[in-house]
Amino acid sequence: MTAALNLSSITHRHPGAEHPTLVDVDLEVQDGEMVAVLGPSGSGKTTLLRVAAGLEQPKSGDVLLDGISVLAVPPERRDLTVMFQKPHLFPHLSVLDNVAFADRLRGRSRSQSRAAAQRYLDLVHLGDFGGRRPRQLSGGQEQRVALARALAAGRRVMLLDEPFSALDTSLRTSMHQLLGEVRAALDPTIVIVTHDLDEAGLADRVAVLVEGRVEQCDSIETLYAAPKTLAVARLVGGFNELPGRVKSGAHHSSLGSFTLPSAVEVEGPAILLIRKERLGLTHVDAGPTAAGRVVQIRQSGPHQDVVVELDHPPTRPPLRVDVEARLGTSLRPGDRTGVVVTPSSVLWAVHDPGAHESCAAAEALVTPAVSDHATKNRAETRSAR
Amino acid sequence: MTGHAPKRWGAAHQSRRTVIPALLVFWLIIPLTPLLLWAGASRWSGTARLPQDLGFRGWQEALDTGMIAALARSGLLGVAVALIATPLGSMAGRALGWRLLHRPALPSVVLLAPVVLAPFAVAMGLDVVILRLGIPGEVAVVLVLSVFALPYTTFTMRATYLGLDPTLEEQARVLGASSRQARRCVTLPAATTGLVTATGLAFLVGWSDYAVTLLIGGGQIVTAPMLIGSSAAGSGNDALTSTLAISASLPPLAALAVFTYTASRRRTAAHS
Repeated sequence: MTAALNLSSITHRHPGAEHPTLVDVDLEVQDGEMVAVLGPSGSGKTTLLRVAAGLEQPKSGDVLLDGISVLAVPPERRDLTVMFQKPHLFPHLSVLDNVAFADRLRGRSRSQSRAAAQRYLDLVHLGDFGGRRPRQLSGGQEQRVALARALAAGRRVMLLDEPFSALDTSLRTSMHQLLGEVRAALDPTIVIVTHDLDEAGLADRVAVLVEGRVEQCDSIETLYAAPKTLAVARLVGGFNELPGRVKSGAHHSSLGSFTLPSAVEVEGPAILLIRKERLGLTHVDAGPTAAGRVVQIRQSGPHQDVVVELDHPPTRPPLRVDVEARLGTSLRPGDRTGVVVTPSSVLWAVHDPGAHESCAAAEALVTPAVSDHATKNRAETRSAR
Repeated sequence: MTGHAPKRWGAAHQSRRTVIPALLVFWLIIPLTPLLLWAGASRWSGTARLPQDLGFRGWQEALDTGMIAALARSGLLGVAVALIATPLGSMAGRALGWRLLHRPALPSVVLLAPVVLAPFAVAMGLDVVILRLGIPGEVAVVLVLSVFALPYTTFTMRATYLGLDPTLEEQARVLGASSRQARRCVTLPAATTGLVTATGLAFLVGWSDYAVTLLIGGGQIVTAPMLIGSSAAGSGNDALTSTLAISASLPPLAALAVFTYTASRRRTAAHS
């Protein structure tokens, strides 16, 4: 099946930049599909969207719509539209005329285009706001109008560039709900750029962009359960990283040996990834996998993250893990606790990008780092060595 | 105690809102008052506080000296200057406001030069160039005045574009507008207030100019300021001079009033 949008081997470098913004990026979006491009700031997400829209020219690669290259086609004649981070409503036009803008450009009469625009305003629950000026709208209303305008453009693909990132949490939630309604009603093909995992979770697939490269493109569930690289795991967050070594389908580290799922294809130096919610706290005497001392308790949404420094021989650096606990845990910093790991089916391992074969044995004994502080901890570990 | 402070502040704010516009109007009316009196006087000796005889002698004489034609010439000159300086200033202001130039300092200095340097010096210098090139006087006056108007239009439009997001044009393009349509349908309408202001300033440069018209036009182009200048310098006829001055002031004042009224109506409509 031909993809609605196909970004093929896109490489892009901003003028004067030392490194390319995008490196050999491939992304296929099927008709009616919603794909999220997830990445940290500066990873090239917006540039990718601008290349697709024709607002930037790639150094190499191709942009195909329904299998036809549109690389030489100007933005206005590409069958796609963009909704930017700011709503960019045209200040001199009423809300209704903003939504009717694309139709008017297509040569439809004022009354026809306004009638069509009214339907899209109704769809975003702003049917009564057509006569207002953009400056009379709230931030959330402006974004709804921008969404209606993008939909009214009737393009093959809609590109959304972090459109809800400037809104507060409740407005963002309501926009996510609205996007769901719009998808149910119109089944548009959407590419949404975001750094918000909740927003990415709205999409059918999520492409993780790190330093200009697509590291993984999968469902959000897969990203949470089986990240392909350490960079993806760190972006998704919530993983404990335990350096060690994979041998014969099991990961060996100072925490012990854990059998890995057959889908793990790593051999040699590898980092065991254990989600913090897959670790549990137990009484020290209950025969836990490991025991240690609570060093910090952090609030994390409706949970608490308990940071435990595991017991270690004096000759080795400390080992810390994050454990997600329910609110109201009776533990306090300084308390001793046990840590248990749930069965191996929930464990995952990725290639250790920082390890060399020669020091693999040593790595098996070093500090497990908590994903949120992974880089720092790894640096500390190395300096301790 | 605390309840009185906001009341006092409110009263002071209200009085400021009344007094400041009144002072501004007073400031505008004071210099015009003797002119208005003279324009309606047939006789007003130097010792009298008010005109002794009222009448329209000044108006009749103004008509006889070709006031209508001079006003028309000034109007044409203003329009011509505005037609040249506004689009050029808009383009330059866009480039400066949206930081499209790598080194904006040099163009800014060049654009400001006619205003910074003495107008007579610039006009004399350009006069020599124009004479050598053989450009007709009327065209030369329009071109030189456009150079003088360009800093006003450019910096007005620069300020306007600074307040406009360049992404508006990109937004229009991804909705189907060509580059030209994006500019025509989105950017320019969004910059209307700045454009009107820039046009007005450029028009006023042409409308009210005396030095350039005299030096480059060589006295052949009789505009309203030329008539006022010659009347004030040579005739000693205060009624005529005042009438000419008022006639030259009324059109821009009327235009300013219409613009202010329209802008306030637009603001009211937007806030209602």
